[in-house]
Amino acid sequence: MNEDERKLLSLRFVVVSLIFLGLGGIEGILMRSRIANLDAPLLGSDPQHFYSMLTAHPFVTIYGFAYMAVMGAFYYLVPYVLGKDFYSKKVAYASFWLIIIGVMTIWTTSFLTHYAPLYTLYWPLPVAISTAGWNPASILPFGVGMILIFSAVLAFFFNMFATIFIPLQAKTKPGAGFVAKELMITAFSLDKLRAKLRGIPSYVSKVMNFPVFVVGVFRGCVDTTINALIMGGVGVLLSVYGTSFLIPNMALNPGLIDPLVYKNFFWWGLDMIADGNVLMFTAATWYLIVPLLLNRSLYGENVVRSVILADLVVSLGVWGHHMMADTPQPTGLLIEGQIVTWGELVTMGLTIFAVLMTMWLARPVKYSAPLKYVLISIMGYGIGGTAGIIQANYAVNRYFHNTQWIVGIHAHVQLLIGLGLTIFAAIYALFPMLTGKQLSEKLADVQLVLWTVGGLVMGLGMGLAGVAGMLRRMLYLTGLGVYQPYMDAALVGSLLVASGYLVFLVNIIRTVGVRGIFGIFFPPRQRAEVAVPVVLSEAA
Amino acid sequence: MLVQYVFEIVYLTLIGVIICFILGFYILSRRPSKPTKLKGGISPHPSHGMEKSERNWLYFLLAIVLIGNLVTLAPLIPSATYGMWNQAAPVEIITIQVENYHFIMPAQPIEVPLGKAVKFVVISHDVTYGFGVFRKDGTMVFQMQVVPQPYSNSLVWIFDQAGMYDVRSTEYSGPLNPTMFVPNAIQVEV
Repeated sequence: MNEDERKLLSLRFVVVSLIFLGLGGIEGILMRSRIANLDAPLLGSDPQHFYSMLTAHPFVTIYGFAYMAVMGAFYYLVPYVLGKDFYSKKVAYASFWLIIIGVMTIWTTSFLTHYAPLYTLYWPLPVAISTAGWNPASILPFGVGMILIFSAVLAFFFNMFATIFIPLQAKTKPGAGFVAKELMITAFSLDKLRAKLRGIPSYVSKVMNFPVFVVGVFRGCVDTTINALIMGGVGVLLSVYGTSFLIPNMALNPGLIDPLVYKNFFWWGLDMIADGNVLMFTAATWYLIVPLLLNRSLYGENVVRSVILADLVVSLGVWGHHMMADTPQPTGLLIEGQIVTWGELVTMGLTIFAVLMTMWLARPVKYSAPLKYVLISIMGYGIGGTAGIIQANYAVNRYFHNTQWIVGIHAHVQLLIGLGLTIFAAIYALFPMLTGKQLSEKLADVQLVLWTVGGLVMGLGMGLAGVAGMLRRMLYLTGLGVYQPYMDAALVGSLLVASGYLVFLVNIIRTVGVRGIFGIFFPPRQRAEVAVPVVLSEAA
Repeated sequence: MLVQYVFEIVYLTLIGVIICFILGFYILSRRPSKPTKLKGGISPHPSHGMEKSERNWLYFLLAIVLIGNLVTLAPLIPSATYGMWNQAAPVEIITIQVENYHFIMPAQPIEVPLGKAVKFVVISHDVTYGFGVFRKDGTMVFQMQVVPQPYSNSLVWIFDQAGMYDVRSTEYSGPLNPTMFVPNAIQVEV
């Protein structure tokens, strides 16, 4: 692939991700309306419809939006930073189509059959046909949708790993075994450990050969690969059970799976998104954008590499904070989960320190849109992360678990303001490189204010409702009572976020036009008549 | 004051500090800098690792981790006390069965003595539920997950306020979960 083709691929990923963000936003507002007991159009009064939307929502926003945006950015940036093409165009497009089809399969299954086990998929709820009243035909397509999504994710990571670790001068392409070996050695700095054991003091670790951004990418990819393997495994499990329910007298017994062991594995894998995709990819993006825009080195680059390694190691032991309300879980594991989770305060604190010091030492900073977005995303991580640390405690969790605190003030503030603004920062930084055109800074400012204020109002509204005792994943069918004002505020916040998204769309459309956006999906000959390819060829 | 409100106040103070810090950083970083030793941006000896300011920040973070864990694991919080430090022998064991989106209570209401340890044992016969006890104003007293059999889920609690309490499933267990509400399920008496 040449650079123009990579730009096109990247733009395609980003445009589809933004469509999924819009879809997820509509779902979010509908669900907020339903929780606030307003007449939500399309949702009706059937709780199962609400819960099926709640099931699809994280798949649409995390995998449809966040993952696709990250994939699009990294498919362009990793080759750009390393100065070489990525490993396989076929694998890249396979990941593009597989994730779209996978997300749409899950969305369609939930919409048509009202299958609603939620993303938590606590065993045996996803296969409890008679108890929960699921349509037996819904489980197989849902499982297949998960398999498609996580196949896409694994294909993307393999493409990244192979791009990073296969040397440019390699005459024949080494196999997956070589890539896996290099990955494990470099990601965990095992070569440095081996050198220390052998008493070689001046040994320079392999990881030092890579830019910090790339180190963040491949170390984050280790986490998200584990996530994809575990979640893909759940997809296989659902597909096997789903198939068995469709064959007469072949239904498998859900009792074959231990619910607590399953839950531990599930959270071990699922939480890797938080560390890999959310924290490490965010850090990698900051490490690239901030020095690039300020035209200076990243503060404490060598320390930062170690911090990313520490984050990787910490991430392997934090799942216990999801299990703190499970009384059959051994207490030792709960305490371990708490203490290791607090370790993220150290790794994220050092990450933020390096980014802010880089900016501080570049005074006077002329803030462009991406820099402002990075700064406010740091604030989002500060606010959401602090809430996360508070709830991730053996004792405190007894009062906060499954309340609106967790999903509002922790999850949504981190995802909307922390991760969301980092992704927008990357889009604002990449847009001129990919299209040769500049987005409006004024509209970017308006979007930033609406998105941030909206995200905070929504997150705090939900969070404070949680303190007052309001549960997440709960419809209060007879009225919200004391929780009503909080939910009204959260609804207003979500509308402000949606307004910010609309301002962003206006910014894009007035810069490249609707034809410019959708023209990137047409074959090259037809594309010659639309705006973006012209811009691309001019930029080239 | 309820434990969750104490944490709310601490949290709101912290986010106020974070927002002020970011706004202050934005304003101050737009001004020209005075020359400093760190102007180069990176250490002249990369292998030497952390600068002094970064090391101090690391020590500060480690201190927060240490203090935070000590505070939240110490017997300052009732749930830590009952769970780890003072596992008083319960004067009463209350066993509750859960099946097909119904709590099967041993009595309605369950009578519980004030200030004495009682043990709640909750057993699910199908899917994962939650077991949460709420005051009449909607605030949560405590909750736990109810993992289905073969597991038994139990928790010791000491009520410090007389009155009626409601029970609700605090974990999503299917679309009928919102119906799992038992008003006036527990009566705490002197």
